[in-house]
Formats: sequence, C-alpha cells, structure tokens
Amino acid sequence: MIQVFFIRLVRFLALVAFQVLLLNHIQLWGLGTPMVYVSFLLYMPLVSQRVPTLLWAFSIGLVVDVFSNTPGMSSGAMTLTAMIQPSILSLLAPRDAPDNLVPTYHTLGKLNHVSYVMLVYMVHHLAYFFIESFSFYDIWATILGMVVSWTVSVSIALALESFRHGGR
Amino acid sequence: MGEFFDRLSAHIHWVVFLLLEALSGFMVFQFNSYQGSVWLTQANTAVATIMEWEAGVLRYLRLPVENDLLMRENITLQYNLEVMRRELAQLRHDSTYTEQVHSKVFSGEDLLPARVVTNSVRQKDNFLVIDAGSHDGVEPEMGVLSGTGVVGIVCKTTPRHALVMSVLNSHSSISCRIRGTDYFGYMKWNGGNPLQVSMDDVPRHARVKVGDVVETSGFSNVFPPGIFLGKVAQVHDSRDGLAYALEIQLSTDLSCVETVCVIRNKIKEELDSLYSKR
Repeated sequence: MIQVFFIRLVRFLALVAFQVLLLNHIQLWGLGTPMVYVSFLLYMPLVSQRVPTLLWAFSIGLVVDVFSNTPGMSSGAMTLTAMIQPSILSLLAPRDAPDNLVPTYHTLGKLNHVSYVMLVYMVHHLAYFFIESFSFYDIWATILGMVVSWTVSVSIALALESFRHGGR
Repeated sequence: MGEFFDRLSAHIHWVVFLLLEALSGFMVFQFNSYQGSVWLTQANTAVATIMEWEAGVLRYLRLPVENDLLMRENITLQYNLEVMRRELAQLRHDSTYTEQVHSKVFSGEDLLPARVVTNSVRQKDNFLVIDAGSHDGVEPEMGVLSGTGVVGIVCKTTPRHALVMSVLNSHSSISCRIRGTDYFGYMKWNGGNPLQVSMDDVPRHARVKVGDVVETSGFSNVFPPGIFLGKVAQVHDSRDGLAYALEIQLSTDLSCVETVCVIRNKIKEELDSLYSKR
C-alpha cells in the first residue's frame, strides 16, 4: 500500500515538473498548450479505489492550476476524467482481464491501448476547454485550440508510454 | 438507517466527485472575481520561489541573445547621441518634447523597479508575476510599466510578489487616447498576436491616421496621462459602422519584458484619503 503511494507520488511530481517547467512554455501557434499531466490517470488499474483516485486527480490538477494561474480549471477537468476513466478502461480491456490489470501495450493490445490514451485525453480536453470557454467568447478559437492541444498532448503521451515499456 | 449508510458508502465516490467539482467550480468563479484569492496563483510564495529559480536558469540561457540586443541598442544609442549632440549644438535652447512630457508625467509618481518572475503572452488570459509585493508598498490596481510602455495592472499581491494582469488579457481594458487630441477609448486585446491590440469606439469625426501615437489618458488614476502605448497600425470601421476600430501596434514586446516599474501612485492615495474624510 505504502509502495503504491510512493510510486504514485513520484509519478505525480515527475508529471507536474514536466508540465510546469517545460510544457507550459510551449504554445502551439498561440492556440493551446500540451497538457500531459493527464497521463497520471492512464496508469490506474482496471479496478481501483474510486475515492483515492479522485483525490489524486484533483490534487494534480490543482497543483498544475496554481502554476498556470488557472485555478479550478485543470482540477475540475481532471476530477471528471478520473470519474470516467474506469468506464473507458473496462470498455477496452479484454473480457477475462484480472481486476489489477494495469493498462499497457501488452495487456490491452496496441490498437486498444492507443484508443484508450486518446479517449482519456479527449475527455480531459473536452472538459478543460468547456470550462475555459466560460471565460472566453471566441468559440472557434476554443475548438481549434482544443483539437491542436489534444493532438499534441496525445502524441507526447504515447511517446511517454513507449518509454515506459522500453521503446517497444 | 443502516441500509441508507450501506448505500451511501457504495456510492461515496459520487459524493466525493460532486464535492471536488463544486470546489473546482468555486475556484474558477472566485478567481475571476476581483477579490479572488492570490494563493491559488503563481504569486503564491512557494510557487513563486520555484519559478524564480526557473527564471534564473532561463535568464542565464538567454544571455547571448540579451547581449546581442544590448550591443545593438548601444550602437543605436551612441548613434542617436551623436545626432543629438550635433542638433543640440545647433539649437542650444529648449529640451526635447518627449523629455518635457516624461519629466512632467513622472513628477508626481513614485516608481519602484521590479523583476519579472514569470510571464506569458500566448494564453487567452496572460499574467506576469513580479518580485515586489505588499512589503514594498505594491497594492492591487497599481500600474506596471517597462522602459518602452505599459505592461499591465497589479491585480493581487503577496508580501514578496505581485500578480500582474498583462495588457494581453481578455479582461484588461486600459483607458487611452490619441496624442494631440481628446478622443479617448479603451484598449483591448482579442487574443492572437501579442504585439497587436485594438481600440474601439473612436468617433468618425476624429481624424485618425495610421502612425498616430496612442497614449494613456489618465482617467483611471492607474497610469498618469501621456504614457506611450503604441501606434495606430490600421483604421477599420467598427461592426455597426458608426465608429472607427483601430488596430494598434504595441510599443512593448511583452514576450521579452525582464525589468519593470510599478507606479506607486500618490495621487490615488490622496484621492482615497479625500474619500475617507468625507
């Protein structure tokens, strides 16, 4: 239990540092910023305790928010994503999968794993840009920003995933 | 009763989910309101310390570019100095117009230099954090300038840092006018190019030309009147066709602002004391 906690904490800190020290400086044609801290939720097993997952997701969102002057936006989007992620995973996991299945290329299969990453990121980006559009009026810029940011975020997330599995 | 609690504990994650979403929603709305908490922003002391460290590294990495710029600036300045010297030798009487304006403008003001800790220009709502806070006498609604023009307005402060709403923020609106006329308007940013802002509702009979200088009007007491904002780049018709909408080329490139000045406005203090005496 303690071990799981520490692994998550390290992952948490690494993703936050990656996001705020590097990615927050990247602006894609003035439209959006890649948001890769969502990857934190990708590693949650098939059946996990819902409440701690929600709290983890909320906290990582909040920390990123504080570093980006967007209080409430990432944390709201991350909480929603944490709520939906188990459904996406159970949809894509093999039928006879054990409860502690950790989603990877191997356990899900290549195609399902890529769709898993894309869907989880899609939920987050939809939520994030929906919240953002409350305070901004240009709807087309918002949609374009969402698509651009999602595309780049998913690409980076998939690259990170392949590092996680030794480049396979 | 027991059954109720069993059901509740089976669905406890929904309760937590709704609570966290409500909390997030609350944070979004209270940040957008003026009294919002500063602790949830980059001006938070712990975060600002980390960002200061990062800014130090980035400043170091930018030194070659900075050196290059300084050198060019030096050459230009030396050249200008030479030109000025020659002209001065010919004229030998009054100081230049800009000098007069600036010495007049800043006579009633108390300027506090500060360094930029974090900065952004390509978000929809851009903020800067500077390393001067309430201990240095910085308060919300004070104006922030750089050497070349207006940077933004302080919106929240902590003891050592302040969060500054950049000119490049969808909520920013700075009262401005065209130099030499009394036509005024509000400067807004509509996203996109960080060097281009717009000024709406300039009346048709105001004869505005491309290249006219836009300066602060001084109506809001945040900035003294006459501070350079930029130049008119294009003159369009407004949407209803009743007025002009101006595109303005900003004088300050906010993406590379490193040092700024906060105007600790005495006029505003005097006004406030007048109000409190009433």
